[in-house]
Amino acid sequence: MTAPVLERVAAGPGRRARRRPGPRRRDHLTGWLLIAPALAYFLVFLLYPALSALYYSFTDWNLRAEANWVGLANYADLLFDDVKYPHFWKSVSVTLQYTLIAVPLTLVSALVQALLLNAVRRGANLFRLLLFLPVVTAEAAVGAIWRWLYDPQYGLINTLLGLVGIPGQNWLNTPELVIPALAFIAAWQCGISMIIYLAGLKGVPATIQEAAVIDGAGPWQRFWRVTFPMLRPTTFYLLVTGVIAALQVFGLVYVIFSGNGRSVTGGPEQSGLTYVLHLYLFAFRYDAMGAACAMSFILLVFIMIVTALQFRFVRQEAA
Amino acid sequence: MTRARKASVYVALVLLAAVSVVPFLWMLATSVKHGQDIYNKVPTLLPLDKKTGEWAATLGNYEYVLGVGGLGSAFVNSVWVCAVLVPAKLLIDALAAYAFARIPFPGRDKLFVIMLGGMMVPAITLLVPRIHVTQSLGMFDSGWGLIVPNIASVLDIFLLRQFFLSLPAELEEAALIDGAGRMRIFWRVVLPLSKPVLAVVTITSFLFHWNDLVWPLLVTNDPELYTLPLALQQLVASPDGGRAYYIMAGATLAVLPVIAVLLVFQRRILQGIAFTGLKG
Repeated sequence: MTAPVLERVAAGPGRRARRRPGPRRRDHLTGWLLIAPALAYFLVFLLYPALSALYYSFTDWNLRAEANWVGLANYADLLFDDVKYPHFWKSVSVTLQYTLIAVPLTLVSALVQALLLNAVRRGANLFRLLLFLPVVTAEAAVGAIWRWLYDPQYGLINTLLGLVGIPGQNWLNTPELVIPALAFIAAWQCGISMIIYLAGLKGVPATIQEAAVIDGAGPWQRFWRVTFPMLRPTTFYLLVTGVIAALQVFGLVYVIFSGNGRSVTGGPEQSGLTYVLHLYLFAFRYDAMGAACAMSFILLVFIMIVTALQFRFVRQEAA
Repeated sequence: MTRARKASVYVALVLLAAVSVVPFLWMLATSVKHGQDIYNKVPTLLPLDKKTGEWAATLGNYEYVLGVGGLGSAFVNSVWVCAVLVPAKLLIDALAAYAFARIPFPGRDKLFVIMLGGMMVPAITLLVPRIHVTQSLGMFDSGWGLIVPNIASVLDIFLLRQFFLSLPAELEEAALIDGAGRMRIFWRVVLPLSKPVLAVVTITSFLFHWNDLVWPLLVTNDPELYTLPLALQQLVASPDGGRAYYIMAGATLAVLPVIAVLLVFQRRILQGIAFTGLKG
């Protein structure tokens, strides 16, 4: 699906340069020498790990013994054996719920911020900077900050809720609240999507907006009939990349549920046990590397299917 | 736009900016408060004594996390890792990108497409065997293990290559005819013209590695090797994890350098994101 596009990108304007006369032989050598370090990295730390992950997913690889070929057993056990892997489907459901809440919330909040920023001149740069701040923050720090903000007794969130008369919640210790609490952090960090929306908004021609004004369209109509349709490629791009990222959420959950032995289960009643946290635990805590590799390929296939469906949906919409 | 609408837009922006920034102010405030003063039912952004209401700021929390908490050595480690990794990676990526953009050799474009394809594999799929490879190379739980497995980036090679392709080829051709070698052209002609993209790649790469938690978490066991995000996570997981004044001091140490970089380079960073649509 993507290969022809990449080929075209790769060919690009470079093709013309190829016919340029020059010291050919020496060029070949120079070329290979220049890419040698990057190529070595690619082979050792990308291609080989990818292929060996596929191989190991068919074995019972762990750190104690030689890996034995077990065929599809890892895949079958993960999907169907809920004695051996009791939390597999739980982690799938947690991750899907998180994705379904976090991605739309992030996109809406990014779009609202971008529209507001686009409507002002004075102070726009300052606001943009402030709204962007959460994205450049390390996830370890984000996790630490939000653990404190969500603190049931002295956290700022419950304190502020208390001021307006809403009873405080034990956000990170109540199974039903864990995913919304995590999704809110994701939306808080929507700065990258906001910047991309902003770039998209700059691409909406002013003449079209003016024409709509002349035709008597109000701001609400202009948004739904002009701006939003023109932002569709941007929204689609953010949706696809957002879903791919949300399905792999890990570092933040790891920090949020650090300590008190909770990291082993991923929150109260596994309510924060995301797929990749589960995978991590199998690889590095329970020493089941083979199963972890199988899990990573199940995720890879799932990501490919979801992405393909999204592309298909868009094409149908466009037709 | 009517004045009332303009005002409401600003009100909305101020509210959203507050949601964005108040957590950081809260972090900063907590980090300079005395332990007993943070457990207060009345929220205050100023470090005030809970009983007397007088000014009571302290740097003691920083002293504690930098020393006993292990964040001091972790800070130094993070600086080291970034100081070695970011320039080395930039050089390796730029050399490869230049070859992919300008030096014709057989199989070049096919190889480039294959490398781009590798970018589509989710990072998590590679993580487990990548640790295994790092182990086999004897770099597990060492400084090398923090650096070498991240020493190049296909995405950065792609970005640099696209920029190099946009430079006028005539300049380089003129230099070639004058008898300059490829490397000379690369250093003297191409790199000086590429400062904007080099800056974007350097800054995003710094931000990514300064903030990275997952790789150091997997590749190190020895607390002496912890980078700042990992040391902070370990502090959260320790019995000190419940002492928010310590944790917020640690978080501040992790966040401040990044905020400084953002303030200085904000235009480049924001342009870079709009241009690539990607982070790290």
